[in-house]
Amino acid sequence: MFRKRYRQQIPELNTTSTADISFMLLIFFLVTSSMDTDKGLLRQMPPPPLDHEQPVDINKDLVMRVALDADGQLTCDGKTVSVRQLRDEVRTLAQVNRTGHVVSLQVDRQATYEAYFEMQNAIVGAYHALREQYARERYGRSYGLCTADEKAAVNAYYPQRISEAPTTDASSDGQKGGRV
Amino acid sequence: MRPIQSMFRTKHHHVPSLNVASMPDLIFTVLFFFMIVTHMRSDEVKVKVEVPQGKEMQKLAHKASVVNVYIGRPFQGPDAEYRIQLNGDIVTAEEIPARIEAIRASMSPENADKLTVSLRADRHTPMGLIQDVKQALQQSYALKIHYSATDKTNN
Repeated sequence: MFRKRYRQQIPELNTTSTADISFMLLIFFLVTSSMDTDKGLLRQMPPPPLDHEQPVDINKDLVMRVALDADGQLTCDGKTVSVRQLRDEVRTLAQVNRTGHVVSLQVDRQATYEAYFEMQNAIVGAYHALREQYARERYGRSYGLCTADEKAAVNAYYPQRISEAPTTDASSDGQKGGRV
Repeated sequence: MRPIQSMFRTKHHHVPSLNVASMPDLIFTVLFFFMIVTHMRSDEVKVKVEVPQGKEMQKLAHKASVVNVYIGRPFQGPDAEYRIQLNGDIVTAEEIPARIEAIRASMSPENADKLTVSLRADRHTPMGLIQDVKQALQQSYALKIHYSATDKTNN
């Protein structure tokens, strides 16, 4: 009785349409998802200046004034520089006076975002190069491979001292710094 | 000469059917690949954004605590003015602090601490608008800004 039942052949499942179904899923995911990688420059802004806060006076000799005008031309302490020159200038400044220097950014409201981004990229690149060098000297490996504590130590050794004062109110000298 | 009908009939050979049993597996593999490397598009971008190129890039972490800000010209409509889009809606710079507050309130406390603004601005945007946005963000204590960009390959 049972034997007979077992001898019956189970009909094969028709799986022809599985390919179509998975194709539909695939196309759905292709349409709804995006592949753009989230890469970019991560910057930290300072908190908004409080009313009772007094601006800190900084020795003018330690400040490097970087300006970006409406045509996208970079000037560094009054002289015209290219993006690469700016990078070298910032690197030299941060190397000579690690914890005392200030890079002051003045950006024209008509300048394009691309020029601003290139300027930021150059400045951050200068600091990254310094930190990379220090990490190799101190820990014998690339900055990217250091532990979080070591990275913090390297960041403290070469702090980013960047000030972005708004160009709209030139009278107020509230320091808008940025650091990571 | 033979009629055309019979010419086709005589050529009729039986082609063995192709075994497509492994095709779903292949497509599933591709599907999983796409599910892993891509992420869901969170909001519809209403402005045209072409991000600048850079070299010193960092990846954006903590997706749950990211606020997307897009700046660019709208795709539709005649106006060629640059507009700000925060997550899903077009806003003005003055509205940003209130929006950020609302978003922060809806987040969990640990995500609210890590709140990062992913700024995807078109490369031709005037800096005045960006400065307004940055000032608005500063007012609302959204101090971490991620300037989105693509990798520069040459140079």
